[in-house]
Amino acid sequence: MSVLGVTAIVVFGVASVVTGWLVFRTDSMVRAAYWLMASFVGVGAMLVTLDSQFLGLILILMMAGEMTIMAIFMVMYMMNPAGLNPMVMVHQHRTAIAAGVGSFLLLATVALVADFPADPAPAGADPTAELGFELLGRSMLVFESAGVALLAVMIGAVAVAGKWGRFGDADAGSVEPPLDPEEAAS
Amino acid sequence: MNPVVSVLFVGGVLGVGAYVVAVLDRAFGPVSRGPRDWFVWPIRRAAFLAVQRRTETERPDAEAWILAPALLAALAAVGLTAVPVTPSLAVADVSAGVVLFGAAMIIVMVAVFLQGWSPNSLFPLIGAYRFAAMALSFGIPFSLVVLTTAIPAESLSVGAIVASQEGLWNVVRQPLGLPVYLVTGAAVAFWGPFRIPEGTDLAGGAVLEASGSVRAVWRIARAGVLVTLSVMGAAIFLGGHLGPVLPGWAWTALKTLVLLAVFVWSGHAFARMRVERFVWFGWVVLLPVALVDVFASGILAL
Repeated sequence: MSVLGVTAIVVFGVASVVTGWLVFRTDSMVRAAYWLMASFVGVGAMLVTLDSQFLGLILILMMAGEMTIMAIFMVMYMMNPAGLNPMVMVHQHRTAIAAGVGSFLLLATVALVADFPADPAPAGADPTAELGFELLGRSMLVFESAGVALLAVMIGAVAVAGKWGRFGDADAGSVEPPLDPEEAAS
Repeated sequence: MNPVVSVLFVGGVLGVGAYVVAVLDRAFGPVSRGPRDWFVWPIRRAAFLAVQRRTETERPDAEAWILAPALLAALAAVGLTAVPVTPSLAVADVSAGVVLFGAAMIIVMVAVFLQGWSPNSLFPLIGAYRFAAMALSFGIPFSLVVLTTAIPAESLSVGAIVASQEGLWNVVRQPLGLPVYLVTGAAVAFWGPFRIPEGTDLAGGAVLEASGSVRAVWRIARAGVLVTLSVMGAAIFLGGHLGPVLPGWAWTALKTLVLLAVFVWSGHAFARMRVERFVWFGWVVLLPVALVDVFASGILAL
């Protein structure tokens, strides 16, 4: 790999780690979500640099939507509706520190002990096509099961969230209950 | 392409394109509203915004507020780099070009959300939530119709997709593609009937508190997104630089102009849609149509 490529990987890697750290240093939920997205964009950029363009770009594409949904849900469950007022983003400090140090040691051990393969991909190989053959070849059963399940969930979600329901159209608006109990019972 | 030339090229295309969008927008607007100052009006408007005083709000997220217009402009630029203007001239005709474009256009959601959320103000925040709901509804159909154009080309590179339309343009081969692309594309740029996050019912919505140069950059960036969508639409549906007699760049420019005019015209031809109607429309109409487009193109390719 060229000097430029190695430099790019190091820069994107450091940026990923720093933005990942900032997720826990910020005092706002929306900022935390988008720092996490920045961290994933860094990982995606590293994949692109490693000649895995499709996977890297798909990762970035997916993260934009996911992090926005996460930000909205986090804000929704909070008492301050805009999520702008500063708040402490971390809790259970002792457990969190223990879990953090523990998982770092575990992953570091794996990185040092594991015997990583060192066979460079043949020049001129098309990673996207290789990925396609993998998905529709050896791993077909796994990915097609997951794919069909996700498609079913999508169709189900559309049906559930669709305009028509047992109580009429979703966008028809609600009707105020009548004040007279006799009328309400009928 | 040389890096310096690339930056000048992308900046130039987006700048000229944004000016054309502003001129067309004025020209298509109701004539009774003002004089026919189509070519001067954008410059006058930009000069006004350049000297306008910045609005201040209580405890905004200042960094995100400044970064949101810059992010939108950057996304327009990134999307543009993947398109070859002539058979040999592209900033970077990368092997996964349409995915790069799709990723850039989906992240527009982040830019609009930040723009609405960061001023710490009610109406912009509602605009931001509206766009999130919209983006989740148009995101899948938009990505599907864009990626479907890769099926006949058997490649995700925009150059290969243009080359695959030598005999027959994708607008004919995939008749459902361009209509869905135009509708979802206008929604990506929250333009025309989909000016939902910036609707007048929210007094300007996401962009309400933005003023002065920041608002100018936001407007230029949004027009830039529209330009990028038109350039890419021309490349993947209308055969890009392919065409008789005229040179390649002229065909690209001509087809881009046609799509740009359709996008801008839609803003004056259709009323703004309500967000809940759009969400329904996205999931119940656009998504099935886009899926049919994928299946039909797949069957044709077999």
